Formats: sequence, structure tokens, C-alpha cells
Amino acid sequence: MRSYAAQRALLAVLQLAVLSVLVFVLTSLLPGDAAELRFTETLTPEQVARLRAELGLDRPAPERFVHWLGNVLTGDLGTSLISGGPVIDIVRSSIGATFVLTVATLAIVVPLAVALGIVMGTRENGRIDRAITSVTLALSAIPDFVIAVVLVAVFSLRLGWLPATWVGGDLLASPALLVLPVAVLFGRTVCLLSRQVRAGTINALHAEYVVQARRLGVPRRQLLLRHVLPNAAVPGVQELARTGDTLLGGVLVVEAIFAIPGFATALVDGVETRDIPTVQGLTLVLAVAALLINLTADLACNRLVPRTALLR
Amino acid sequence: MNRRGWIAAGLIAVPLGIAILGPLVSYEVGKGLPYSSEGLLGTDGLGRDVFGLLLVGGRTALGMAVGAVVLAYVVGGAIGLVAASTRHRWLDEGLMRPLDVLLPLPSLLVISVVAVGWRASALAIMMAVAMVNVPTVARLVRAAALDAASGPVVEALRMQRESWFAIQIGYVGRSVLGPVAADLGTRITLAVFLVASVNFLGLGLSPTAPDWAVSVSRNREGLLLQPWSVLAPALLLVSFTLGFNLLADRLVHRSRQMAAV
Repeated sequence: MRSYAAQRALLAVLQLAVLSVLVFVLTSLLPGDAAELRFTETLTPEQVARLRAELGLDRPAPERFVHWLGNVLTGDLGTSLISGGPVIDIVRSSIGATFVLTVATLAIVVPLAVALGIVMGTRENGRIDRAITSVTLALSAIPDFVIAVVLVAVFSLRLGWLPATWVGGDLLASPALLVLPVAVLFGRTVCLLSRQVRAGTINALHAEYVVQARRLGVPRRQLLLRHVLPNAAVPGVQELARTGDTLLGGVLVVEAIFAIPGFATALVDGVETRDIPTVQGLTLVLAVAALLINLTADLACNRLVPRTALLR
Repeated sequence: MNRRGWIAAGLIAVPLGIAILGPLVSYEVGKGLPYSSEGLLGTDGLGRDVFGLLLVGGRTALGMAVGAVVLAYVVGGAIGLVAASTRHRWLDEGLMRPLDVLLPLPSLLVISVVAVGWRASALAIMMAVAMVNVPTVARLVRAAALDAASGPVVEALRMQRESWFAIQIGYVGRSVLGPVAADLGTRITLAVFLVASVNFLGLGLSPTAPDWAVSVSRNREGLLLQPWSVLAPALLLVSFTLGFNLLADRLVHRSRQMAAV
């Protein structure tokens, strides 16, 4: 167990090192830079060149990378080329809304998906199982943005029950704002997750140790909670880590549709204005978050079912 | 094929048929009043004929996703097969470890950056979608190939002095096809979603492109005025992904039944 955790953590550190290079390379490859994009109409080429030198855009990429990495390691994500403020401020101001959206969605999705998955798994191919399976299969085939567009049209434009876009203020203070975005994010994640829990439950129920425990007369309740659930949770937890990816994609779309000033909005703005330090900072924070989620999921799986090994 | 199989095939065939044959019978979409009910499905926000746009919008919406998945399988499948069949541990590790590192990169993030960098380039978006799929495809193919290669059949073939080619391609390669087919359905759905999301966000193709996802995005304010301008392209996309979802579900089910026998 200890050595597994150590190995897995080492892998995470390696991943982080490679990711930081990737983030830098990928964002540096963007054609056109902020100096060109911002001022081509008002400035002469000489002035653009001077601005570029001022912003440090004229130095070779490896040099910029070392400089950037050194700063990042000391906690300095750089300065935005557009707003002129520190990138860390942009991260801080945009992360709240995204965090609230994600946590609110997961708080509803996880318990529901586990419950649905167990209900389906314990009634394999029964009527209830088939009914829920059909619904989840159909629901998971609808792209987030289609659900969002239809929900906004019906509940905001036609019925006028819920606000269609964010107009300022705190997301937490006005829960009505959260209803539609969370409803959009909820659909596909709950489908993906509950199907994994279902498969895990079925596999665990067919395993020999469960069959044996049943023969020995272990009560059904104890059988489900103590023996089936931990094993069924493994594919669920792994899927949850992958759901993070789906969810992030969904959050991007949802923030764009509902005009929520979150992480995704900041990122899209940054990419469009070629604000490289901002994009690098935001991407790095996201990549680190994704890494941590994967690390936690793997450690949790190892804890639930210790036989999963890292080394092949 | 039973009834559900036919339903899945039909759901896939309609959008696929429109995407492939549509451009051949397309016509001038004209310029009329925005959101009017002229023509078969009315007009969109720019006054163009919705049905005419549908005919040409499938090529990018489905083609980019399918192309990306094919590309991911060519690259990832090759990596997975080589990693599984090699006797050199360093080659296996050298091929698979770098992919482990790429795995946690948020996919829509990578694709957005690429899409904006090479604005409106369908090829660039396709390559990016393929790239984020390569690690998981390679893992899947490697696991499936190892599963087949460690069985008694390969041992028997080896004892009969069958050639490496006959064993690896003829037997192992073929037994990988089952898990691959089951995975293909969900992967195509996800690829369609990714491509559509990038286009919907306005980071991909130009906002006037006839692409189905772009159409949904462009006309969303007109949903109540002229519903078909949004619903028709959305329904075609959903029909395609739903068909593949049903198909994948059937294949998973079947391979599980075969494993049980």
C-alpha cells in the first residue's frame, strides 16, 4: 500500500513536469501574439517590435520557458498582457463560479448515480433495469449544448421561470441562477456514472466470494454494503475521474451559454486575445487539478480494492 | 439482426446518408427573410434555407469526428499492438509511459487551443480530437491484445511454428476486434460531442458555416420563432450519437455473453 502510493505519487510528479512543458509549448505555438493582435491597426511595425521586446515576446522560446517555470515554482504565474494585472488574480476571480457549478453538480450526481447503479445492477435485465438503461442511453446521446439551448428556450424564454443568463452578483446568493446550468451538466454525467456502477455491481454480484458469502447466509443488506459496494465503487471512482474531463467540457459550454464569468470564460477570452501568460496560468491550474483528481481516484481505488497494481 | 439492431442502424443511416449524399444534391440556399417559414423547414437567422444548409452541414459535423476516431485507431492501435506483442520490456514501457502522462490533459482544453490557433481549419480540429483519443485507444488495444496473446491458442500456434505474422495479425489482431468494436460506438459519440462543442463555442469553424453544431449555436435565439432551424440539425446529431450508443450497448452485451459461455 505504502509503496503503491509512493509510486503513484512519483508518476504524478513526472506527469506534472511533462505537462508544464506541454502547456508552454502548446500555448507558445498559437500563431500571432498579443502585441500584433492588439495594435496592428494603430501602431507602426517598429512600435509593435518595441512593445514585443517590452513584453518579452522576442526572446527565444527555451529562454522564456525557463523564466516562466522559475516564476511558477515561486508561485508567480506572470502578468496578463491584456489587463496588466497578475494572472493569479484572474485565476482567483474566475475559479469561484466554476467551483460552485462543479461541486453543486457532483453533489447531486454522485449519490444519485450510485443509487441508480445499484438498483440497476441488483436487478440485472429486469424491467426496472431495462427502463433506466434505455433512459440513460438516450440521455447520454444528447450533446450538452442542445439540452442547454432547449432548456433555456422553454424555461426562460417561454415560461419565464428561471433566468437565462448571469447578470452579476454571487452565484451562491441566487440559487435560481444555478438551476439550469446544473441541470445541463447533470444529465450526461449521471448517465455515464450510473452505468459504470451498474457494471461494477453486476461483476461483484457474480464474483465467487459474494456467491460464497450468500451461501453462508450473510444477510442481503450486509452483503450489498460490505462486499458488493466497495468493488462496485472501483469502476465508479475511475469513471468519476474521467467524468471530470466530460464535466469540464460541459462547464465550458454552460459558462458560454449562460454568460457565467468562470474559468472557462476566462480561458476562452485569453485564447482569443492571445494573452499567453493568462492562458498558460489557467491551463496549468486546470492540468494540476486534473492530475490531483486522477491521483486521488487511483489512491482511493487502491484503498477500496488493494489488488489493483500500478506496475504492469 | 433484431429490432433494436435495425433501430440503431436506421438512426445512424439517416444522418450519415445526408452527410454523404447531401452535398451531391445541394442547391442554392438563397437569401430570404430571417426565421420565415418559406421552404421545407423554413429559413435560419441569416435568411438561408434550413433544409439546404442541412444537406451540406453534415460533412464537417460527422466527417471530422469519424475521421478523428479512425486516425486515433490507426495511431493508438499500432502503438497498443506493438507494445503488447514486443518481447522487449523497454519498448513496451517506452511506448506506453508517455501516454500515461498525456492521459489527464483536459481534452476540450487541448482542442480549443488548437482550434483557435489554426482558426477554422477542420483538419487541425480533427487532428486534435484524434490526439486526445490516442492514449486511451492504445491502452485498450494493448490490454485486449495481451489478453489474447497470453491464452492457450497463441501457445498452440507457436508450438506449430506458425509465423510471427500469422500469430500477431491473424489471431491476436483479429481477437482485438471485438473490444474495439464495442469501444468504437462510445468513442464516436464522444468525438462528435467534442467537435460539436468546439464549433458551438465559436472556437472552430466560421460562425456562418452550415455545420450542424454551428447552426444550433447560430440560431438558438430563434428557437421559438422558427424551431426547425435549431431542432433539425440538433436531431440529426442526436440521431447519429444515439444510434452509436445503442450499437455499443449491444456489442458490449454480446461480448459479455460470449465471455460467459
